[in-house]
Amino acid sequence: MSKLIKNLTIILSLTIGSYANANSIDTLERERAKALNLVLDKNISIGDRKKNLQKSKMRLLDIERMTINSKDINKNPNYQTIKAFENFDLTFLVHTSLEKGKSLSITWLEEIGLTTENLMNTRIIRK
Amino acid sequence: MKNTNIKLFLIILSGSFYSVSSLANNNMGEWKPQIVEKMYILPPKHLNKVLNNDFNKSLLALNLQNTDNKIKNKIQKISELNSLLPGTSNEESLEIKHQIIINKKNYIKDMNDFLIMKKQKLNTKKIFFQKIQKNIKTNSLISKASTKFLNNKNIAMKRAEKLNFKIIENSSYNVSKQSKYFEQYQVNKDAMRKLKLAIEKHPMSNKNILSNDPKNKMEAIRNYVHNIETEIAVLDMKEQMIHYMAKIVVLDAMSLAENISLASENEKDIISTNFNDPVNIISIFTN
Repeated sequence: MSKLIKNLTIILSLTIGSYANANSIDTLERERAKALNLVLDKNISIGDRKKNLQKSKMRLLDIERMTINSKDINKNPNYQTIKAFENFDLTFLVHTSLEKGKSLSITWLEEIGLTTENLMNTRIIRK
Repeated sequence: MKNTNIKLFLIILSGSFYSVSSLANNNMGEWKPQIVEKMYILPPKHLNKVLNNDFNKSLLALNLQNTDNKIKNKIQKISELNSLLPGTSNEESLEIKHQIIINKKNYIKDMNDFLIMKKQKLNTKKIFFQKIQKNIKTNSLISKASTKFLNNKNIAMKRAEKLNFKIIENSSYNVSKQSKYFEQYQVNKDAMRKLKLAIEKHPMSNKNILSNDPKNKMEAIRNYVHNIETEIAVLDMKEQMIHYMAKIVVLDAMSLAENISLASENEKDIISTNFNDPVNIISIFTN
């Protein structure tokens, strides 16, 4: 039994270790998730959100640039990387928001289909 | 005694020809191209030059040169001996012929070594080019699969580049204060643009077959492999010639051995004349 636990520990540590070597797309996804978390967080003040989002946007801008210019991902790109570049607008949110001249949160909401027009067209129904 | 010597000489001579090909692969030196993988991107013509320079530094090249010198010496010796033949006595002529056969035998051995070394060089070169061919094929297969991804990435890069001024101008980003990467990115990008322009203007840029079209490189390498195969086929024919030459030398040696044995038989005839028979000594009395 203890042998099994030891083996499981080794396998788990190896798995966790391999995840630590994340590529630039993983880093971008993590930073993007943090930024979106700030957009959706109801428990912080508007001032804090603005301040934190500004910092997050700067980091995200750098990481997006690094990802776009990375040559390492050209070699044998995985499914996640291929899909990320297929959906530029959703992946590189800071770049898209600059292109469109809109804020990051609005750009993201629009990309996932939550526009004012769409929301106005919705109605409550009972199933 | 003389007969046994001749027999031994014949056995050693024919035996040495058989050993020529079987022992040829040993002690001739090696050539392992010491070319780094990055050199593979060179145009085929330059690659061939680099490969030849690499060969010239190898042990095989040194041995090839030495054998070439040996062959030249042997040919000179044989022609010198041949020039000595007219106007010599029977015994001297037999000795010179014997020397000629030995030199011819050595020449054939050296020539065989020479051809094997040349073949070794060509085979190594062929393997090298075939490896490059394989690399190009694999790379083109990979690039076909990732073409769509690379297209998307290029589009992303162009879109990102278009936004450079917008990012700098946008006061909310305040790039110069907050992002060290972006600052460096701008400087490096400008430098890279200048370098790219210099590459485009470089006169050798248009001559670089690989950068223009990898298919051309494949074709050029295929031509090199074809030429090498042709040279190997010619060497095979030369090897056949060497075998025929060896046969002629063996026949010459046999003929020389027969001449020597005939001469010794004549001597025996003189010695073995029976003086006890009066018929045989009539001439002594009559002359």
